[in-house]
Amino acid sequence: MILIIIVIAGLLVIFSLNLPFFQKQLKGFFYFISSPIQKTLWRAGDKVSDFFEVIGEIRNLKRENEELKLKNQELVSQIAQLAELKKENEVLRDALGIGLEKEFKLVLAEVVSKDISQDSILINKGSKDGIRKNLPVIGQQKNLIGKIGEVYEKFSRVILISNKESSFDAQIPEKDISGVVEGKGNLQLFLDFVPQEKEIKEGDFIITASLGGIFPKGLLVGEIGKVLRSDVEPFQQAKIKPAFDIRELETVFIITDF
Amino acid sequence: MRKSLILIIFFYILALLQTSFLIHFSFSKIVPNLLLITVLILNILEEPRENNGIFGAVASGFFWDIFSDKFIGFHILILAGIAVLIKLILRNYLQPLIRRRF
Repeated sequence: MILIIIVIAGLLVIFSLNLPFFQKQLKGFFYFISSPIQKTLWRAGDKVSDFFEVIGEIRNLKRENEELKLKNQELVSQIAQLAELKKENEVLRDALGIGLEKEFKLVLAEVVSKDISQDSILINKGSKDGIRKNLPVIGQQKNLIGKIGEVYEKFSRVILISNKESSFDAQIPEKDISGVVEGKGNLQLFLDFVPQEKEIKEGDFIITASLGGIFPKGLLVGEIGKVLRSDVEPFQQAKIKPAFDIRELETVFIITDF
Repeated sequence: MRKSLILIIFFYILALLQTSFLIHFSFSKIVPNLLLITVLILNILEEPRENNGIFGAVASGFFWDIFSDKFIGFHILILAGIAVLIKLILRNYLQPLIRRRF
């Protein structure tokens, strides 16, 4: 009996290794029949966890509320300043004859399932909807989420920026600091290759840089968390708090043209 | 046959729970892996001569592969290997030890 099972398992491995088409079809079929159940389970899990979260967080809510109110006031004043700058920018662009940057072409997709251990999610758009490998995936606030990995007929797997295989150029626009964002797995992100003489601090915002060409310029990656500085290392590192929360992620946009 | 079918359905439901419901209940960004835990418990608690645990491991590995970005067979081999190892330890070392004592 054991031998038979091992032989079957071995055959399956050989089968799937040699026939990626078969593997895609099989996975696509299971995603198709499972997605309605997964959606229902997803919503149920969301409700249950929200309920327990509220009970657990009731003490912190007041303090957090006050902090958010303060931050909100700060942001409102920043928006006012930026609106002023935007107007000035438009006037100058008009004067110089430069057009505004064109917006991206987006495709909306719903998240079907998530795999935290592999730092990937499954979405309900595939090759039938014009999705290709390596297309950037963003959230509703134009925050970077990842890029398309495997593409099936009606589904695609998104490799999150926190995946171990993910690495791209980024910058801190306020300070003109560039570095490389590297995924470390388990939803962890690090900013690396920042020269020691540059000063980065907690709360600095990181956006994508145009170098490398995988992602469009100016997408929000996250904000700096703990800075790891060592005198013996030529570069400093910093932990990044990603701009997306995988638990809240329900819909994403795929940039098909940029 | 009936037992095998029940095991397949059971592990399919577990895989669905793992990739949707359980994501909301991570402890410091770690989600407990129901499939692995169930395979371990099933193989440890089952009568060492029975083979349902190994079959369960293959079914569990298959569904784990389906919902992950690894090729089909990756988790099947890992889980089946773990199950066979548990069975071998139970059959060859623990069972004779228990028989000798009682």
